[in-house]
Amino acid sequence: MAAASSSDSDACGAESNEANSKWLDAHYDPMANIHTFSACLALADLHGDGEYKLVVGDLGPGGQQPRLKVLKGPLVMTESPLPALPAAAATFLMEQHEPRTPALALASGPCVYVYKNLRPYFKFSLPQLPPNPLEQDLWNQAKEDRIDPLTLKEMLESIRETAEEPLSIQSLRFLQLELSEMEAFVNQHKSNSIKRQTVITTMTTLKKNLADEDAVSCLVLGTENKELLVLDPEAFTILAKMSLPSVPVFLEVSGQFDVEFRLAAACRNGNIYILRRDSKHPKYCIELSAQPVGLIRVHKVLVVGSTQDSLHGFTHKGKKLWTVQMPAAILTMNLLEQHSRGLQAVMAGLANGEVRIYRDKALLNVIHTPDAVTSLCFGRYGREDNTLIMTTRGGGLIIKILKRTAVFVEGGSEVGPPPAQAMKLNVPRKTRLYVDQTLREREAGTAMHRAFQTDLYLLRLRAARAYLQALESSLSPLSTTAREPLKLHAVNTSTTRPVLGLLVCFLYNEALYSLPRAFFKVPLLVPGLNYPLETFVESLSNKGISDIIKVLVLREGQSAPLLSAHVNMPGSEGLAAA
Amino acid sequence: MALTVVPSFSVSGVWKRTQFPVSTESQKPRQKKAPEFPILEKQNWLIHLHYIRKDYEACKAVIKEQLQETQGLCEYAIYVQALIFRLEGNIQESLELFQTCAVLSPQSADNLKQVARSLFLLGKHKAAIEVYNEAAKLNQKDWEISHNLGVCYIYLKQFNKAQDQLHNALNLNRHDLTYIMLGKIHLLEGDLDKAIEVYKKAVEFSPENTELLTTLGLLYLQLGIYQKAFEHLGNALTYDPTNYKAILAAGSMMQTHGDFDVALTKYRVVACAVLESPPLWNNIGMCFFGKKKYVAAISCLKRANYLAPFDWKILYNLGLVHLTMQQYASAFHFLSAAINFQPKMGELYMLLAVALTNLEDTENAKRAYAEAVHLDKCNPLVNLNYAVLLYNPGEKKNALAQYQEMEKKVSLLKDNSSLEFDSEMVEMAQKLGAALQVGEALVWTKPVKDPKSKHQTTSTSKPASFQQPLGSNQALGQAMSSAAAYRTLPSGAGGTSQFTKPPSLPLEPEPAVESSPTETSE
Repeated sequence: MAAASSSDSDACGAESNEANSKWLDAHYDPMANIHTFSACLALADLHGDGEYKLVVGDLGPGGQQPRLKVLKGPLVMTESPLPALPAAAATFLMEQHEPRTPALALASGPCVYVYKNLRPYFKFSLPQLPPNPLEQDLWNQAKEDRIDPLTLKEMLESIRETAEEPLSIQSLRFLQLELSEMEAFVNQHKSNSIKRQTVITTMTTLKKNLADEDAVSCLVLGTENKELLVLDPEAFTILAKMSLPSVPVFLEVSGQFDVEFRLAAACRNGNIYILRRDSKHPKYCIELSAQPVGLIRVHKVLVVGSTQDSLHGFTHKGKKLWTVQMPAAILTMNLLEQHSRGLQAVMAGLANGEVRIYRDKALLNVIHTPDAVTSLCFGRYGREDNTLIMTTRGGGLIIKILKRTAVFVEGGSEVGPPPAQAMKLNVPRKTRLYVDQTLREREAGTAMHRAFQTDLYLLRLRAARAYLQALESSLSPLSTTAREPLKLHAVNTSTTRPVLGLLVCFLYNEALYSLPRAFFKVPLLVPGLNYPLETFVESLSNKGISDIIKVLVLREGQSAPLLSAHVNMPGSEGLAAA
Repeated sequence: MALTVVPSFSVSGVWKRTQFPVSTESQKPRQKKAPEFPILEKQNWLIHLHYIRKDYEACKAVIKEQLQETQGLCEYAIYVQALIFRLEGNIQESLELFQTCAVLSPQSADNLKQVARSLFLLGKHKAAIEVYNEAAKLNQKDWEISHNLGVCYIYLKQFNKAQDQLHNALNLNRHDLTYIMLGKIHLLEGDLDKAIEVYKKAVEFSPENTELLTTLGLLYLQLGIYQKAFEHLGNALTYDPTNYKAILAAGSMMQTHGDFDVALTKYRVVACAVLESPPLWNNIGMCFFGKKKYVAAISCLKRANYLAPFDWKILYNLGLVHLTMQQYASAFHFLSAAINFQPKMGELYMLLAVALTNLEDTENAKRAYAEAVHLDKCNPLVNLNYAVLLYNPGEKKNALAQYQEMEKKVSLLKDNSSLEFDSEMVEMAQKLGAALQVGEALVWTKPVKDPKSKHQTTSTSKPASFQQPLGSNQALGQAMSSAAAYRTLPSGAGGTSQFTKPPSLPLEPEPAVESSPTETSE
């Protein structure tokens, strides 16, 4: 692994080996037991003491034990269980008051849990979706027992066929039931009001009215019912609602809510929709023809990673700028922002254990990690400004600090011929034997050719002879045509008497063969002449087995055969060929 | 079965406000008999995240859990399960699951699209078209539906309908893939110009797509517009310096121009990436041939032949190199094998005849020449060689006929192009003309150097040309040339000597070798 990675990095030019790496290895714990996504990582000064903490919405091993973890330095500071899996974590300033400590928002299921000072502060639940009035009406009727379950089922079916909105779970469950269970189900559930609840799929923050670093921000939520919601930071009321053609997966926002903002949402249908402040519906649409795996805005460029192992750059109006091919599948992406040098770049964690950093399409740096990185986050951690936090597929945690002297230079890696050009071609060497043979052929080429031609003719002659002999001696009755009958020859060996009244009978396995004439009379046999008797045999089996056909010669009126012979049938050639 | 999700969020501390509609409710002892149903879409986001990361095992685990919890009602879980099945090659299963999805939400065009896609992958193009048409009713402005309809029509060989649909798709939204398919239709119809039009537009739209650039370059190459071909192939190589097709095509162009060393360095890149490519080793072999490293050429060509034993072009080149090496018996075998695969090429018969002449089988050589002359329409070499062969035993009349035939071809070629003729060929033709006492051929523009010299003298002087180093190995080179020196040449040997020269001839097939797989692949 180490050898492979070092040779790789040499090839790339953007090295990351110990000596001239741009990164200091601050911490590596392969057993940190953190399983999460980039969306669930956040860095913030949660206590207002200038010491930045890492907030992790941890899914737990196998997504079984969701926990909220807060890390300080390499250690977990607090850890608390969560009711459901966290979909996203974000830190934001709720109000202008001092001390300006950011709140932590954690989206999970249909709710956003807001913490202040790491204490639960508020829980926002998505409003219930309005039920279909027809459906509501039906259940009301059921409540008053004015409708029988069967009619209810039919009516609900018809609603499902035609309505745009999906039915409530209660109705869907009901439609799945057998006739016998319906009655009980209706009685049990008829008093419940029907509900439709959606869940949060993604969350980000949007500055309210100031562009400052520490301005009050709104939460922007993406929901499973294809909507985007903007929440008021103080009152947690819904300020704006926008609808999308598909379910949002990643969000990227710029601007301020009260002034002007642009919202890019990568959706499950593989498209990215771009909305603006005054648009209720998408203004531009980028069709990727693959699923997006990450969406990052770098200055004015939207960088999208797709499942086709490539990074694409788009303008805010959806025009494609560039494409870079990755050596492996992209697992996660995040923004690298180095304030001191005004650098913004995209980090992409790849399945081959690399983290690549790109500014536009120029590769700046490659970091090799012992395991594939599944979540990434860059920013101020502890008291260090430029810290890179990575978690790996196996639950490991890697923390690296960017050296203060490090400058990312583009180029170097991309220009010049590929390394393979310098490799020598693997051309086989000539051997002594080859040289000798070549010389011999030059000297005696004509003789060799003649000898070869003669031998070839002899070979052909021999083959033909052998074939003929085989045919004559019936060693292996290879048929040359598809329709070749089974041939028998009858010869009367008596010198004087002709024979009359003989019969030929075939005995065979009827599962394997069929003969059109399994029993026939032999004509008068004049002594010394050869009488060919022919019959077709059809092979019925497709398993390529062959059997024996018995030929019996009988005299009319006698039950004991005069002669019997076994014909060994060959395997079907039609099958052998197929 | 229905697990109720009781949010037990009050873990660490007191809530400052009291707006907890759900949690307060949960604290009350539940009196209702009816259990709450879990939210169907609860973990869709997680399924999706696992899916796009290609972590299918984790994805399947979540799907299973979700389906158990919702009793198979979660449409998205089924949908992703079907997608995974399809990726794993279980297309029939995926089709069934997509159909389930379509039943769960009949208004969704996406489900129908996936059903159609699975049908398409199963090769049921007609059924796929029907389903796509259904989907198109639900969503008229989807380029994907139009595009896929177009592809289905291509497979059904209804090119007009396919073109309509693909143009439709381009109007809705432009995608590289649609351009590629549209170009392919034109290629299938044999309309190179239209295909080039389409690819030009595609390259304008997406100037960094190496596949488009390479295809366009190869099309120009086929049409013989070398400048543009090289430009596009070069562009493709700038964006992707390891592009296999582009390197092979660009390399073969360099070979035609005699830049064997440059071509070889380019081929090294491919040799690393694609180890077992017959056209690559063929081209490398011919590079060595061009550099007069015949032994290396033979070993490369033999490797190519090992990898693609039925490729007549490789056999042709092998035959040619062996002729050059004076290994006529081997040459005969390679050439006769090539003829077995490609019986319609005059040059092959001509080379075979040259080999036979040197193997002192004049009768068969003549027959081979006759066949070559019969098949070939424009190569004057065929006739010239035949004329030489006929002249030597004294069949002057027939030789003259071939000579005149050759002159016809030469003048025809001169009218059509400003092609330079090989000087050795010109010289030989002049000598033969003199020997046959035909008036100094009008077709040759070059002044005759030595009109009186006899044809026989040229053939005896020929071994001198063989005494040039034959390979990188000096010892072998000397050994071979000395072997050639005291070899008694048959009188008909003159015929072969013309053949050592035209390597341009065998090199020409390479672009075709190269471009033919690109057309057929995809």
